[in-house]
Amino acid sequence: MTQIDPRVEEAVDTLPLSAITRRRLLSGAGLASAGLAASALLAACTSKKSTAAAAGVGAFAKTPKWRFVFVNHVTTNPFFVPTQYGAADASTLLGTTHQWTGSQNSIVPEMVNATNAAISAKADGIAISVIDTKAFKTPVDQALNAGIPVVSYNADGAVGNPGSSRLAYIGQDLFTSGVKLGERIVSLVSGGDVVGFIATPGTLNIQPRIDGAKKAIVSSGKPITFAEVASGALLPQENTTIDAYVTGHPNLKGIFAVDAGSTQTVGQIIAKHGLKSKGVAGGGFDLVPATLQAIKAGNLDFTIDQQPYLQGFLPVLYLFLYKLSGGLVSPPETNTGLLFVTKDNVDPYLTTKTRFEGSSTAQQVITRSGAIVHA
Amino acid sequence: MAEVEATLPARRRSLARRAADEFLRRREASILLVAIGLAAYFQVAKPVFLSRGNLVTLSQYVAPVAIIAAGEVLLLVSGEIDLSVGSVYTLAPFLMHYAIDYYHSPAIPAILLVLLVGALIGLINGLVTVALRVPSFVTTLGTLFAINGITLLTSHAYPAEIPASAAGIGRWLGRADWSELTWAVLIVALFHTVLTSTRWGLHTIAVGGNLVGASEAGVRVGRVKVANFMITSTLGALVGMLEAFRVNTIDPSAGGTEIMFAAVAASVIGGTALAGGSGTIIGAFIGALVLGTLRDGFNLIGISAEAFDLILGIAILGAMISNVHLARLRRAGRT
Repeated sequence: MTQIDPRVEEAVDTLPLSAITRRRLLSGAGLASAGLAASALLAACTSKKSTAAAAGVGAFAKTPKWRFVFVNHVTTNPFFVPTQYGAADASTLLGTTHQWTGSQNSIVPEMVNATNAAISAKADGIAISVIDTKAFKTPVDQALNAGIPVVSYNADGAVGNPGSSRLAYIGQDLFTSGVKLGERIVSLVSGGDVVGFIATPGTLNIQPRIDGAKKAIVSSGKPITFAEVASGALLPQENTTIDAYVTGHPNLKGIFAVDAGSTQTVGQIIAKHGLKSKGVAGGGFDLVPATLQAIKAGNLDFTIDQQPYLQGFLPVLYLFLYKLSGGLVSPPETNTGLLFVTKDNVDPYLTTKTRFEGSSTAQQVITRSGAIVHA
Repeated sequence: MAEVEATLPARRRSLARRAADEFLRRREASILLVAIGLAAYFQVAKPVFLSRGNLVTLSQYVAPVAIIAAGEVLLLVSGEIDLSVGSVYTLAPFLMHYAIDYYHSPAIPAILLVLLVGALIGLINGLVTVALRVPSFVTTLGTLFAINGITLLTSHAYPAEIPASAAGIGRWLGRADWSELTWAVLIVALFHTVLTSTRWGLHTIAVGGNLVGASEAGVRVGRVKVANFMITSTLGALVGMLEAFRVNTIDPSAGGTEIMFAAVAASVIGGTALAGGSGTIIGAFIGALVLGTLRDGFNLIGISAEAFDLILGIAILGAMISNVHLARLRRAGRT
């Protein structure tokens, strides 16, 4: 009796038998073995049916309606609209719910309060944009102590210092994206004055980018003088700051930015002063509509896409799997990408309005055609 | 015998009614009822509301607003307002960081120095308002921007770390679970006593209620106002440091107008008249409690950010309307 169907063995395991009876049963000895085996198999089948009846989404076992809390630093910023759609879609897919909270203006104490409230409310998982290297250490530790899994998304402390003991980070590798920006700047500008605008210096979802850009420019050895300028968190303020700087520095060879608002504004100011015809290079981050228009019009050379939709979708998925597997499926570090959008591949972004870019609420299938752009 | 038995329940009833009357006669009563109602609602909706962990969180929503509101009530009662207190809040922990890390000051003198600078900013607000006769709304609007500019310039808009030598005292200044609430309760108790039971409080009310009358009666109205500006700014500096210690970072985007508006809202919800002459600091504390309960409770039951402002706005209006009408009933009962 070496060949025992694993399903039979499994079924037998469900019976409350001593080790000896079990062995006898499996070896076919004893009178009752056939009957017992049958009843066990029957039980296995019915229990299988009952799990199918009480099943959760897809092939998963039934789960409670888990609630995951996203703590964000700029809750009403348009950049995060696709992130919220991603979280909502994953929640619908998995039968969970999510809450979008935090601060409207990068106010760290408010974010800490929201995190603490999520811990008190016994949230089933928390995703935090860790924009400060110190403030989130204690709240994240407390959540983990309370058995609540925590991941970071979009921002993850500083280079070499995640700023919390979160299980994993889901977002762009910010420093690397800055290095890539710097390399692109070096390839576009041969030398002279270059400025990089940053909305709020020191905020850790953007500061590593400008640090990376500076490093790449310095290590290229080209005679580029790179100035880092704060442009402000609000769009009107960014517009006046960048306009004034560009007016005051007529010798600029390149104008770049590391956040969505500043990038959009750089495009507008380059257009306003007609700098493209003077050979001034421009570029930056993220996919707000004005930035895409500026790329199409040729005022910006490139922008970098970091897939904000995935930054909402994947944390929900990871937290769900962590809960479902009792912690066995631990969230992996995920780089949501570094895609350069240029005049060559900007069209689909402009011609389609999608949930994945935050420009539409509609659920739809977007069919693409033609070859996939590759190196 | 029979007579006694008959009057006893009647007397008991009148006692209960007298206690209820006594309670409702207090200005803070109506807003306290609103606060209790909200707490009861959130406790039913989410039974963890009254757990220890959440009460700590709730206290951290309430305490900073309550402390600044204590100062704002003094100013509002004396007929002025301070819009700049949130900027002082942001600057204060940076000043502490400069004093300790750049000028090698020990922690406690540095903290006292920051409080002194807070008082100095209040002095400037007060002197410009009183001596140069600029309305305080405009004076402090100016200092709001100016002080914020100083913070941004000196810090290069970059966050800083809590100085290592100050970390120990941080437990007493916001880091420990209940320390912010303890400060808030002490400060509210102190200034409530000042406002209700001292000559200073009487003068403050007189200045706001009838400026000419007060000055003709010999109250030094200028001095009263200037000192109240100094108290408010000092409290702003204190709260800025408490919050920096609590979240363990010094951030140039903390504070600002949000905390100031929360403090003014708490004062007004608590029954302080914007026009001056009347107000209560305990009421402002309960007002802060209502605001904090709303914020914390909404986070507990999981209301997302976009709906949050709408519901918070409606809740503030609802709390205010019921407060005003309960107050009307109270007055009706008194006459």
